[in-house]
Amino acid sequence: MGAVTDDEVIRKRLLIDGDGAGDDRRINLLVKSFIKWCNSGSQEEGYSQYQRMLSTLSQCEFSMGKTLLVYDMNLREMENYEKIYKEIECSIAGAHEKIAECKKQILQAKRIRKNRQEYDALAKVIQHHPDRHETLKELEALGKELEHLSHIKESVEDKLELRRKQFHVLLSTIHELQQTLENDEKLSEVEEAQDESMETDTKP
Amino acid sequence: MKHQTSTLPFLSVFLEPPMGMHGQVLAAAKEAEVFQALQRLHMTIFSQSVSPCGKFLAAGNNYGQIAIFSLSAALSSEAKEESKKPVVTFQAHDGPVYSMVSTDRHLLSAGDGEVKAWLWAEMLKKGCKELWCRQPPYRTSLEVPEINALLLVPKENSLILAGGDCQLHTMDLETGTFTRVLRGHTDYIHCLALRERSPEVLSGGEDGAVRLWDLRTAKEVQTIEVYKHEECSRPHNGRWIGCLATDSDWMVCGGGPALTLWHLRSSTPTTVFPMRAPQKHVTFYQDLILSAGQGRCVNQWQLSGELKAQVPGSSPGLLSLSLNQQPAAPECKVLTAAGNSCRVDVFTNLGYRAFSLSF
Repeated sequence: MGAVTDDEVIRKRLLIDGDGAGDDRRINLLVKSFIKWCNSGSQEEGYSQYQRMLSTLSQCEFSMGKTLLVYDMNLREMENYEKIYKEIECSIAGAHEKIAECKKQILQAKRIRKNRQEYDALAKVIQHHPDRHETLKELEALGKELEHLSHIKESVEDKLELRRKQFHVLLSTIHELQQTLENDEKLSEVEEAQDESMETDTKP
Repeated sequence: MKHQTSTLPFLSVFLEPPMGMHGQVLAAAKEAEVFQALQRLHMTIFSQSVSPCGKFLAAGNNYGQIAIFSLSAALSSEAKEESKKPVVTFQAHDGPVYSMVSTDRHLLSAGDGEVKAWLWAEMLKKGCKELWCRQPPYRTSLEVPEINALLLVPKENSLILAGGDCQLHTMDLETGTFTRVLRGHTDYIHCLALRERSPEVLSGGEDGAVRLWDLRTAKEVQTIEVYKHEECSRPHNGRWIGCLATDSDWMVCGGGPALTLWHLRSSTPTTVFPMRAPQKHVTFYQDLILSAGQGRCVNQWQLSGELKAQVPGSSPGLLSLSLNQQPAAPECKVLTAAGNSCRVDVFTNLGYRAFSLSF
């Protein structure tokens, strides 16, 4: 465990501060200057050393503060990215649902279009045939004509029957008259013959 | 694959006698190569069928072989050249496999006079044997008419066969007995279609008439003589009906006469599709009619008679179309077309040909 973290530490330090410049060097210098200051003799030199050490220390503190701020900022950026990532995932899921909806709608629309086209195809065929109302009217008119003509035929036939009967009556009466006239003639002939025979009887 | 030298008798003309052992081996290999190449050149794929799981496609050719292709492998993102070759090929019939149909566990294939059943689960292993092989009762025992069309009637769990003997035979799938024979056609039958609402079967054949048969009474209900209608008849092509499809109220048929949409109740032709080449396969799909025939393209028509699209395939003529609409495999929802070549074209989107599977 210790070996791993050591490796990590070394890798990180090399990454950040490979050439030894910056904070690492400053801390080493600080340690060296502290030892020098402890060993220094005169007051002035000691004081200037002390000032220099303080400034180095504040520089180190400043850079550490900066690093901490950067670390905070990174954490917040990460949170922000997480939030955006989740939002994008939601919108992707939403888009998937919309796509499924739209696909259903497309199927529905295709069905509707198919029905419309079937209707159109049948309508075209039906248009070729003549209108039903007109044919009905024509049929009615023809029916009426038929009736009218049949009435006329009936009346003409009645008249014909009547005339036939009248002629029949006329002819039969004529026939009877002829018969009676003939009978009368025959009777008168017979009477004359009888008269003649009676005269010849009385003569001698 | 068994050598079928009987089908290519002229092959021996091209071969020279081998010289020595090594020469013999080489010559044999060469001979096999040449033979295979010639076979593929002259191959015609007559029929296709999709497996019930939707992931495999079976194709039957004129040598009697059936090849099973894996659609899911060929459509996946890491498909290689080998995925476009069959997973397994076996000799199913002695003659061509004219038609195939799948039930939920079996593949039924029909050729010269007989129909065989294979289990989908078994076919992917080598050396698969057929489950059963039956022959419908023909009028004389000398007749071996080809079976051009197979139709499944799910409601009564039966299979209808029709072909060269001009009759429709019904076979019950559970017992295997042949229940009815429907007679009426005067010439051989090319295609069958099922009208689901009133269980009726439509059959179209060489005599130019589409006959509707009621399955319950086993009688002919309606006859439509397509060639007698002048809008669609094309006497120079003949009167044969090559393809039929129905949508309960409507029917589309084509072949010798032009491809026409009919309204069944009134037996009137409503739309004639302006396609000069005779069509060999037609099907309804959503709001379109897909047809294919002589000519490279799969044609897509609107019901109003307009040509929506013509998508070229890789075979010079197409004989069968198959739409994989099995609900178990929505990612394999493709249209496959096959015909006068050894290739099966796969259309993932109706607009273009994605790739071709090959025997």
